[in-house]
Amino acid sequence: MSIEKSQESKRRTQRPSRYMLIFPLLVLVIYGVLFALTPEQALAALKSSGEVCLNILPPLALVFVVMLVLNLFVKPAQIAHLLGSGASIKGILLSVAAGIISMGPIYVWYPLLKELREKGAGNMPIAVFLYNRAVKPFLLPVMIAYFGWLYVSVLTVLTVLASVVNGYSVAAFAKRKTG
Amino acid sequence: MKIAISAERADLASKVAHRFGLSPYLLVVDTETMDFKALANPGATSRPGAGIRAVAFAIGEGVEVVLTGYCSPAVYNQLASNGIKVITDVSGMVKEVIEKYKAGGFGRDLAVEGEKGQASHYINRRILVKALKSSARQFANILPILTGVILCIGLFNAFVSKEALALIFTGNVVLDTLWGACFGSILAGNPINSYVIGAALLNHGISLFAVTAVIVTWVTVGLVQLPAEIASLGLRFALVRSASCLVLAIPVAILTVMILNFIIG
Repeated sequence: MSIEKSQESKRRTQRPSRYMLIFPLLVLVIYGVLFALTPEQALAALKSSGEVCLNILPPLALVFVVMLVLNLFVKPAQIAHLLGSGASIKGILLSVAAGIISMGPIYVWYPLLKELREKGAGNMPIAVFLYNRAVKPFLLPVMIAYFGWLYVSVLTVLTVLASVVNGYSVAAFAKRKTG
Repeated sequence: MKIAISAERADLASKVAHRFGLSPYLLVVDTETMDFKALANPGATSRPGAGIRAVAFAIGEGVEVVLTGYCSPAVYNQLASNGIKVITDVSGMVKEVIEKYKAGGFGRDLAVEGEKGQASHYINRRILVKALKSSARQFANILPILTGVILCIGLFNAFVSKEALALIFTGNVVLDTLWGACFGSILAGNPINSYVIGAALLNHGISLFAVTAVIVTWVTVGLVQLPAEIASLGLRFALVRSASCLVLAIPVAILTVMILNFIIG
């Protein structure tokens, strides 16, 4: 059956989507039009993009290294386990940790979050998890290169604190009907 | 010791189910007392991520050994890397299988093993190659959109004047922050794009308040992915969470810059 089929479909979903290429191709088309209309300004735009590209390359190399370390040591099952720890202080801290170390696009996590909720996980840890996805350890090199480590540190601490406030707000205002 | 067994039914007289991730039930049996807990396999109802849910369940129950007919390599890796021993090619009645295990019937030569603590301390070549592939894939997923964003930043720098931006971002801290939060809420995607855009906005004289709000809401709100969130977690949850994140972004942005200014002096 189906083991081969499911593995093939998994490989297919893991490939970069063709749709992601539409956006850069569209921008290239705009460049093409602008080169025809105002070549000097279009060239200035391209040079400016080149500078941005050069600035981002060194931290991007570090991003790959941090990604590799996280992929080596962090498993999705561990994240799911951290998330299912309830709304106690320990549970909140574990949800914070799960949000921070989780990787990949958010829609990949929705089915798992739905499952956890059906198993009884509250709104709070899920909201805390989703908020803490704003803290991305593997992107810190890029963020620090652009904004400095002090800004990144302050924003990270406030983001974690805000995630708890967000968790309480969602728990209070999005209570599920029971019975 | 707790053992998890994939089972066709929720009792010890059941047959062992063939696939761990997709079996109807998972039985967690205490080998000392033979007490057991039968739970509908969290992964049985839906295929995507089924194995991972079963693994998360096994970890949550404190299982040390999994007995099953077949376990996919991905699920095996997850179990083994969490220190759970996996024994496959198991068939027969659950109770008999447990007795056989207790009697040492599954010798090391038959077992597929994940030694406790092995994964966290020992990285073999296979795990490294797998992690490299995952990282390369994730990295490749970032690049197309990031390239588009960088090209857009070039256009933005060349064609958008500071005067034009000043029409929206007037210098009013609260209003600028609100505009930044709204802008970040509409767009979504990898946060790296928000850093590149944020840096470009800063270069155009937009305040750090607004830029911070863009960065915060970029990941936390995301109107583009709202339908997916509603479908998975419900309308009320998604709307309350998004609204709360949007509102919170304003004090977070203002406090961040104020604290930063205070520290720098």
